[in-house]
Amino acid sequence: MPLEGLNPYHLQVGSFVLINVILGVSIFVTLSTGQLSLGNAGFMSIGAYAAALLSTQHQVPIPVGILAGSLLAGVAGILVGIPSLRLSGVYLAIATLGFGEVLRAVLINWESLTGGAVGIASIPQMGRVILAWGRDRGFSPESLGLQSNQFISLSVFLILLLCTILTVAFFLRLSRSRVGRAYAAIRLDERAAEATGIPITYFKVLAFSQGALLSGFAGALFAHSTSFVSPEDFTYHRAVEILVFAVFGGSEHILGPVFGAAFLTIVPEALRSISDYRYIIYGLLLVLMMVFRPQGVIDPPLIRRFRRSGRGASA
Amino acid sequence: MFLEQLVNGITLGSIYAIVALGYTLVFGVLDIINMAHGEIFMFGAFVGLLIVSKTGAPLPLAFLGAVVATAAMGLLLERLALRPLRDRPGASHLASLISTIGVSILLENVAHKLFGAGNHLFETPFADIRFKIGPVTVYLVQAVILLISLLLMAGLALWLSRSRAGKALRATAENLETAGLLGVDTNRMITATVVIASAMGGVAGVLVGMAFNYINNQIGLSMGLKGLAIIIFGGMGSVYGAMAGGLILGLSETFVVAYGSSGYRDAIAFVAIIVVLLIKPQGLFGQAPAETGR
Repeated sequence: MPLEGLNPYHLQVGSFVLINVILGVSIFVTLSTGQLSLGNAGFMSIGAYAAALLSTQHQVPIPVGILAGSLLAGVAGILVGIPSLRLSGVYLAIATLGFGEVLRAVLINWESLTGGAVGIASIPQMGRVILAWGRDRGFSPESLGLQSNQFISLSVFLILLLCTILTVAFFLRLSRSRVGRAYAAIRLDERAAEATGIPITYFKVLAFSQGALLSGFAGALFAHSTSFVSPEDFTYHRAVEILVFAVFGGSEHILGPVFGAAFLTIVPEALRSISDYRYIIYGLLLVLMMVFRPQGVIDPPLIRRFRRSGRGASA
Repeated sequence: MFLEQLVNGITLGSIYAIVALGYTLVFGVLDIINMAHGEIFMFGAFVGLLIVSKTGAPLPLAFLGAVVATAAMGLLLERLALRPLRDRPGASHLASLISTIGVSILLENVAHKLFGAGNHLFETPFADIRFKIGPVTVYLVQAVILLISLLLMAGLALWLSRSRAGKALRATAENLETAGLLGVDTNRMITATVVIASAMGGVAGVLVGMAFNYINNQIGLSMGLKGLAIIIFGGMGSVYGAMAGGLILGLSETFVVAYGSSGYRDAIAFVAIIVVLLIKPQGLFGQAPAETGR
């Protein structure tokens, strides 16, 4: 049975890759209207804390909690997005970074609700809940040839994989729709877009809150995968990491942040054997990348070339 | 009590101002945010610390060492991470942001490797000397910090407004291409700006060591974030805005901690900028961006 060789550690790295892919797409959506946000770590924390509190204190079922967390982050995105319309470029980046930092200060100081700097522990973990549910009905993972911990990691991975595929598919479809074309027009030239009758306020706020909602979704999934959240998970480093996924991978096509998130999550793990140097290498990689390929690894010409060679091979 | 807090606030604020100046100079000339500035500043602090603690050299030598080291880092930053991007047509403004973020991650982790993650005690030989001016107790360290910051700010303001090089730098900040056409060696001015900004970061690093008595490899980040908040608050690229913004932040942090809650201290900077940005998006001292004609 090939399943026996499943390594929970690899599955866990895989799960982090998938959560990061969703985060990468979240910043991509906001970027696709030309808005540079560093607030996605903050929106992620809203989703994570909301889901965690709902399930630990109010015994809300996990899927409902995840949905509520995502929606709450989306609403926060509208509330932050509307005043942010006045800002652009680095001003927007720093103001959203500020939003994240203020939110983190609140999470640390509002101890009665958030547990302060310690965070929230023993959040129901998706895999364990599924296993317990199955055990009640006479299912045992051994019947699949799996250890319990293998089954837990595998089910988390598969749920995240489904969520990620749905997310990417939705936004891939969106980018080819009227909304996606409006985003692209706004990104290229805001005034020209406005002159052609595109309601730019509406679309910019929409993109901003979509990004926020998606970050909250990733945060809620994160809370129920690791079963532990703390303010440390949503620092400046996280905000920058999310932005880097999109910029490194390429911010002009949705596959860019997907690739960026996957690559940049796996590299530090793969370099664990030289762990003292791995973030030094990570930093160097970013600089070299911007020097030699500032548009990111994946750009539309590359995708077109792949398509053409694919078609050539099949013809 | 009030007056002593005032002195504390001004001391802290003048350090913030020096950190913010490093950001604002580079932004004024290059229109980019140098995310590595905080880490260069942190290296300045460590070089100063090593000179004082390992060789027992006097404080001025620590400043000199920190300035030389950070100036060299600024030169490398400009040559290796900024200029190659500038020479590429079509590179987005995100590219330089990410590139300097890369340098900051690199430096933070090199510092972690070299100095570890813990706090390092920064001992100033005259740390305990204090004197009374009327009812107010002032530490000599505070007076020295204030003096150095004021000298540095005055020197910079004078250099920018009076000297030939300062004029060239302002011209480059105004318009890179036009300055180039008028015979300013813009590449040289940019290099000079990054080097000067980094050296100021070095001085600020030693000042922070003196003020807080300890340093670690995270101070680059925390001070860097505040520096960023200040330049937004004061107006991007505005030298006087950075100075005023630094003082205002230092004072408000000190008073909030003294009379309110210390938990939100690090959030003050960002609450302030969010409010300012919503009321006056170009910052307190910033000029409204000229409408580009089409």
